[in-house]
Amino acid sequence: MIIAIIALVISFFLESITSCFFPNSLNMISYFTTIYTIITLVVLYPYFDNNKKYYMLLVIFGILFDIIYTNTFLLNIVLFFIVSLFVRFINYHLATNLLNINIISIIAIIIYHLFSYFILEVIGYLQYPFMLFINIISHSLIMTIIYTTILYLILKKVYMHVNIKTIR
Amino acid sequence: MLKYKKKKLALRYVILAILISIILFLVIFSYTLKTDRKLNKVESLIKDVIVFSQKIVYVPFNYLSDKVSDFSKLKDVEKENDILNTSLDRMSSIEAENVELRRQIEKLKEELNIDYVLTDYEYLNATVVSRNIGYWYNTITLDKGSYSGVEVDMVVINAKGLIGKVISTTTFTSEVRLITTNDSNNKISVLVSDGNNKVYGLLNKYDYDTNTLKIEGISNTLQVNIGDMVYTSGMGGVFPSGILIGKVNAITTDEYDLAKIINVTPSADFNDINFVSILKRKSDEK
Repeated sequence: MIIAIIALVISFFLESITSCFFPNSLNMISYFTTIYTIITLVVLYPYFDNNKKYYMLLVIFGILFDIIYTNTFLLNIVLFFIVSLFVRFINYHLATNLLNINIISIIAIIIYHLFSYFILEVIGYLQYPFMLFINIISHSLIMTIIYTTILYLILKKVYMHVNIKTIR
Repeated sequence: MLKYKKKKLALRYVILAILISIILFLVIFSYTLKTDRKLNKVESLIKDVIVFSQKIVYVPFNYLSDKVSDFSKLKDVEKENDILNTSLDRMSSIEAENVELRRQIEKLKEELNIDYVLTDYEYLNATVVSRNIGYWYNTITLDKGSYSGVEVDMVVINAKGLIGKVISTTTFTSEVRLITTNDSNNKISVLVSDGNNKVYGLLNKYDYDTNTLKIEGISNTLQVNIGDMVYTSGMGGVFPSGILIGKVNAITTDEYDLAKIINVTPSADFNDINFVSILKRKSDEK
C-alpha cells in the first residue's frame, strides 16, 4: 500500500512539475503531456486485491486533483471513478503485461478527456471545438506510453523486490 | 416468474437511480463551475500546504532549468550589455519625461473625471507554480494569495501583455483564468488603435484553430487596419485601460456583412508564462 501511495504522490507532483516545462495551454499542447495520476491508477490496479483500498486512494487523489489543480468540486472524483470502471472491465478481459497496460492507459486517458469534454459541453461551462479534444488525445499519446512503460517496469521491479504480489 | 419480475423491477430502480445521480452531478458541476466556487477553509489549507511542498520539490528542477537557460543566454550577454549601456545613458531623460507624464495624467484624470488609470495600480510579482492541468479549465496557479492582498477579479499581466484575471484565492495561492478561454460570461471591452484612430469592440472568444482572439461588434463602416494594436478599454470595471492584448492580424465580416470580425494575435506567449504581475489598486491598501 505504501508503495502505491508513494507512486501516486510522485505522479501527483509530476503533474505540476512537468506543466512548467512542457506547455499544455490549449493553444499549443506539447507532445510530452499527459495525466500522470490516471496512468498511475491504471498501472496500480492489477496489484490491488482489495478494491476498497483502491477506491479509497482513487477518492483521495480525486479530491486532491479537484482542489489543487482544477478548482472543481466532485468532478475529478467522478471522472476517476468512471475511468476505474473501464479499467476494471478491461483488466478482467486482458492479461497484465506491458502492451496491455499501455493500451489500457491510452483508453483511460481518452475516457477521462472524453467525459471531461462531454460534461463541460453539457453544462455549457466553456465552449470547445471537438477537434481540440482530438488534438489533446493525439498530443497525450507519446507521454502516456513513456510514463506507463517506465512506471510499469519500476513498480514490477519494486513489488518483486519486496516480494508482494497483491495488495490485500 | 416472480423472480423475473423482481429482477426487472430492481433493474428499473437501478436505471432510475443512475439517471437521478447523473442529473444531480451535472447540476452540482454546473453550479460549482459557473459560479467559480470559493474554496472553504479546509480546502484552502490543503491547497496551501500542497502548493508549498510543490515549491520545495521544484527547487532542484528550477535550479537545473535556470542553469541550462543561463548557459544558452551566455553568448548574447555582450550584445545585451551594449544595448543596456545605451539605455542607461537615456535613463535620466526618461525619468524626467516620466515625471512630466505623471503630472499630465493627474491633470487629465481631474478634467475627465476618471477614477483609475494603469499608473494607479501596484504591480505584485508572482511565480507560476502550475499551468493548466486537466487541460480544459485553462487556468494557471500563482504563488501569491490573499495574504499578499490578492483578490478575485484582479488583473494579471506579464511583460508582453494581458494574461487573465484571478478567479479564486487561498491564503498563499491564486488561480488565474487565461484570456484564451471561451467563457461566454467573461467578455472584455477592448480598444483597437493605430495611434490616432480609436475603435471600441468586445473580445468575444478564442479561436483554437487559428490561435487568435476574436473581436466582434465593430461596425463595418469603421476603419481598422491589420497591424493595429489592441488594448483593454477600461470599460466594464474589471480590466483597467491601456493593457496591451495583441495585434490585429486579420479582418473579416460577419454573415450579414454589417460588422467586422477582427482576429488578434495575443502579445503574451501563453506557453512561456513563468513570472507574472498582479495589478493591485494602490488605493485598495488604504
